[in-house]
Amino acid sequence: MSRDLHPAVAGAQPFQRAEREHIEGPIFETAEGRDRLEKILTRYPVKRGALLPLLHFVQEKKGWISADDMVEVAAVLDLTPAYVHSIATFYTMYNKHPVGRHLVQVCTCISCHLHDGDAVLERFLQETETREGEMSEDGKFTVIEAECLGACGFATVVQVNDEYYENVRPETVPEIVQELRDR
Amino acid sequence: MADGNDTVTLTIDGVEVTVPAGTRVIEAAERVGVVVPRYCYHPGIPTRPAQCRVCLVEVEGQPKLHPSCVLQAQDEMVVNTATDTAELARKSVIEFLLLNHPLDCPICDAAGQCMLQDYAYETHQLESRLNEEKQVMGRDRIAEDILYFADRCIICTRCVRFMRDVADDDALIVAQRGHKAYIDTFPGAELDNPFQGNIVDVCPVGALVHEDFIFKARAWDLDKTPSICPGCSTGCNVTIDTKENQIVRLKPRHNAAVNSYWMCDYGRKHLVMSNRGVRAEVPLIRTNGRLAPVDWKTALEWVADKLGEIGEQNPPDGLAIVSPGASNESLFYLSELVRCLGVGRIVYHVVQGETAALHGFPKLELRADRAPNVTGAELLGAERAQEIARSTAGAPLVVLEDPLTDAPAGFGSEASFFLYLGTRLPNAAREADAVLPVTSFTEMEGTFTNFEGRVQRSRQALQPPGIARPAWLVLSRLLASLGAGDTVMDARTAFGVMAAEVPALADLDWDSLALKGARAKTTAAAAAEG
Amino acid sequence: MGYPHSHDLETTTLLSRYIGDPEAKTLSGWLERGGYETLRQALVMSPDDITTVVKDSGLRGRGGAGFPTGLKWTFMPRDSGKPHYLCCNADESEPGAFKDREIMRWTPHLLIEGCMISARAIGAQHIYIYVRGEFFPVSRVLNEAVVEAYEAGYIGENIQGSGWSCDLTVHLGAGAYIAGEETGLMNSIQGNRAEPWMKPPFPAQSGVFGMPTTVNNVETLATVPMIVDNGSDWYRQWGTERSPGTKLWCCSGHLKRPGNYELELGIPLKDVIYEVCGGIPDDRALRAVIPGGSSTAFLTGDELDCSTTYEGLAEAGSALGTASPIVMDESTCILSAMRRIAQFYAHESCGQCVQCREGTSWVTKILRRIEEGDGRMQDLDTLYELCEQLTGRTICVLADSVVFPLRSSLDKFRDEYEAHIKTNSCTAT
Repeated sequence: MSRDLHPAVAGAQPFQRAEREHIEGPIFETAEGRDRLEKILTRYPVKRGALLPLLHFVQEKKGWISADDMVEVAAVLDLTPAYVHSIATFYTMYNKHPVGRHLVQVCTCISCHLHDGDAVLERFLQETETREGEMSEDGKFTVIEAECLGACGFATVVQVNDEYYENVRPETVPEIVQELRDR
Repeated sequence: MADGNDTVTLTIDGVEVTVPAGTRVIEAAERVGVVVPRYCYHPGIPTRPAQCRVCLVEVEGQPKLHPSCVLQAQDEMVVNTATDTAELARKSVIEFLLLNHPLDCPICDAAGQCMLQDYAYETHQLESRLNEEKQVMGRDRIAEDILYFADRCIICTRCVRFMRDVADDDALIVAQRGHKAYIDTFPGAELDNPFQGNIVDVCPVGALVHEDFIFKARAWDLDKTPSICPGCSTGCNVTIDTKENQIVRLKPRHNAAVNSYWMCDYGRKHLVMSNRGVRAEVPLIRTNGRLAPVDWKTALEWVADKLGEIGEQNPPDGLAIVSPGASNESLFYLSELVRCLGVGRIVYHVVQGETAALHGFPKLELRADRAPNVTGAELLGAERAQEIARSTAGAPLVVLEDPLTDAPAGFGSEASFFLYLGTRLPNAAREADAVLPVTSFTEMEGTFTNFEGRVQRSRQALQPPGIARPAWLVLSRLLASLGAGDTVMDARTAFGVMAAEVPALADLDWDSLALKGARAKTTAAAAAEG
Repeated sequence: MGYPHSHDLETTTLLSRYIGDPEAKTLSGWLERGGYETLRQALVMSPDDITTVVKDSGLRGRGGAGFPTGLKWTFMPRDSGKPHYLCCNADESEPGAFKDREIMRWTPHLLIEGCMISARAIGAQHIYIYVRGEFFPVSRVLNEAVVEAYEAGYIGENIQGSGWSCDLTVHLGAGAYIAGEETGLMNSIQGNRAEPWMKPPFPAQSGVFGMPTTVNNVETLATVPMIVDNGSDWYRQWGTERSPGTKLWCCSGHLKRPGNYELELGIPLKDVIYEVCGGIPDDRALRAVIPGGSSTAFLTGDELDCSTTYEGLAEAGSALGTASPIVMDESTCILSAMRRIAQFYAHESCGQCVQCREGTSWVTKILRRIEEGDGRMQDLDTLYELCEQLTGRTICVLADSVVFPLRSSLDKFRDEYEAHIKTNSCTAT
């Protein structure tokens, strides 16, 4: 299916998913990686423009971006690994460490703050038995506090990988966690 | 610009100034003696992000303050750099920068030369209003010999931009963002660039420090001598920082015609190494088959006698081996001596090394010829030799400052008379009939001619050891003893004598060399101009 | 969830007409609803004519600053010989705002059509829709629409046989509010840190990839087709002289019916809150409202009679911003709310300018300390002074954004701050 991706949207695929792939060796030498790279490169007049989309692709496949991945992306785009490191750390959605199968981002920004966002976050941490930013022992969860997720009318907003959960209340958290656990 | 001219006229702090169109206000202000505080702005780094916000100035008729580093001077613009609003804004920037600063000036290498310290003092910030905990980030190794203290860093990004925009090596970056931002290499990697030392110089605070300088000296204890770097034939202008008669470090000194604001790391380290080793401190003459220490008077009379005898014999194929590290004046007097002795050949050998050019200022190159005065040596009649020359049996041999590295066993033994003038006493010089101790590059004044014929002065930064004397002084005295000219006691006179004799230097005088040097009329210089 | 609720005021659904209508998402559904007809018209119009009608309509940028859209387009050079770009700012991240998401996920073809028409007006050969990274579900819908539009010849080579070609690329962000600032956005598309740059150069001279560029918000671009289709006078029948048209509202906080509403500009703010959104749960009293997204000034319950126009809210001492009122009832601790807002800006500061990098986090630290009961009265002076130094001193307005709510909360809720400082108590009920 991925082969049929239109170049116009090849760089805009959901890049936080529960499914992770174990890829041996360079990711942009896999058939899919090459395809994605070629398509993305056609959309920018300079190679560097492809940097964010390529990092998305790495994270889409692996769930996070390792130092080795940064080195590979740098080589593919004629950038330095240091430069890629600078970009990967500027943008908060790039995971520089492995995250749980379900990356739970709880918005606690102003509108969610007014709707017990902090308590929702607390509850998620409790239910998953983790500390903020830490992966649970079974590898299923990482819970982090997020800044505004752009769905303020439906506070509290929680993003789990590429899905939004809206109007989350502290008391609805156990159900969500259970449902995720069972997936 | 408005009237189509190439200049614009504006008023800065009440003084009218006319500058080329396109000039930024921060530079226009310097022309009227106003130095607007700056952090991210550096005249040698082309990019200007205008991000430190300390150079904000007020423009009459405009409500917002402008960063003068990017604000273009315009006709009839009225700029005030020190209004209450501007000063308060500036003071506030300093307060912000000090919030999380560790205030470890007592153990910071930059204390005394720190732009944060200076502006904090100028804006009279004695107490912090921070009642919360400071953010602590720690330190990191950026390069083999450079440490990064994140807590002192003000994120001006001069270092990042030097590496990226001047050295064309995108190896240093800002990691993270906002108040968590810091300077970093790729995790696990260190800088590996022949010009990386410049990031320490551009750092306006104590965030980047050379490890070999750390805790060695306080900035105010250093004696500073404007000079040039003897590391290669480029002749970068430098300041030599010394303490207790030791070279502590070299810093590049601006010269738009040679090295801009930069120098290479090879040069930076090269001279500091010369602190080491045993020096030749007293004259030695061969008595009863052994070299014995004597005073200068005895030594020079003895040598002059010997040379006088040789001159009378009119010897064939005399040889002089000179170092391209010797000054023009020393080389000049040596060539005079060779001439005085009759027919002779002067050769020099120069150590070769790898080259590296600075992308953003390609004229600055670590050149293969690892000596400061190759052009001077050529100009004064020396020929390049690929390897160490052998003197002809029965002919005289004079060596000036060449360390005689790799000289074959028994070097010089075949000479009728072997005179060695040097800063050290290498094994190969032990066959000499006389050894005259001369001062090293940093212990005397002199001029050096760089790869493109620019004659530049080096100045005395250190006291010489023992009773070593500048070679030009020793040689002129020898010549005087032989009835050729007068003894010269200072480099200015030596230069004057030389300039009168050497056509390529005819247009130059000592004073015009000043701090930046001047071009000689060498063939290379003529070619470069033409 | 999320599409406009029905409400009691006279409904004006121009932009939001098909929001909530699943069939409108597809190309066939969109064509059935008259989609791409305006693009066809625009293809035979000159770029200047398109610009003129948009300029005459008085449409103002819906990204928050309210800059006149048509005027912005006229800054683009004519015949520059360079590639031109249109960047659609879909990096919706202002706390309180959630309107662009609705437009994109319900009516992606409306946005595409608006983009194509606008690109034609400014001579762009390529459009980037910069969607914030978190909006995966949105970009899924948008992506599908883009592919459909490509296949049907509404994007790409020789569009509908007109001889005019223009590409469109969906570009996902990766978590950075500052990428919503137009120069930050362009830097981000170029693969850089989303750091705003000091203007000049202005985007129309040297924007993304150094080429002439216009950056417009999603809602702005989605409004363009109806204006081109119906004319500027038609559009001006809604709103006021200086704030014509309708606006998609994002209402959040303590409201009975939070959500999106398309409202004619100029109705009283009070009506938005009490009529449209049904007021506050349990009919509690309103303590404060931030009318235009978190970067606008607080208004109190006594200040709700103002008109919801750019000029009306400016007169009231706040701003229309993204028309995203965040409503706080009497139980709200203003200090805590303000701290949370400051925390957002501290987290999102790119870190270039000293004032913003250090100031936003210092403000947050001070507010947190007061919140924790360790405040002192001189903190209030310090905060006021910080307001001064964070205003108009930096490359972009992120630092200013924290000042608007901060200064107004200090002015209007001083009792709250003092209660926390003096007695470690809160005036909220």
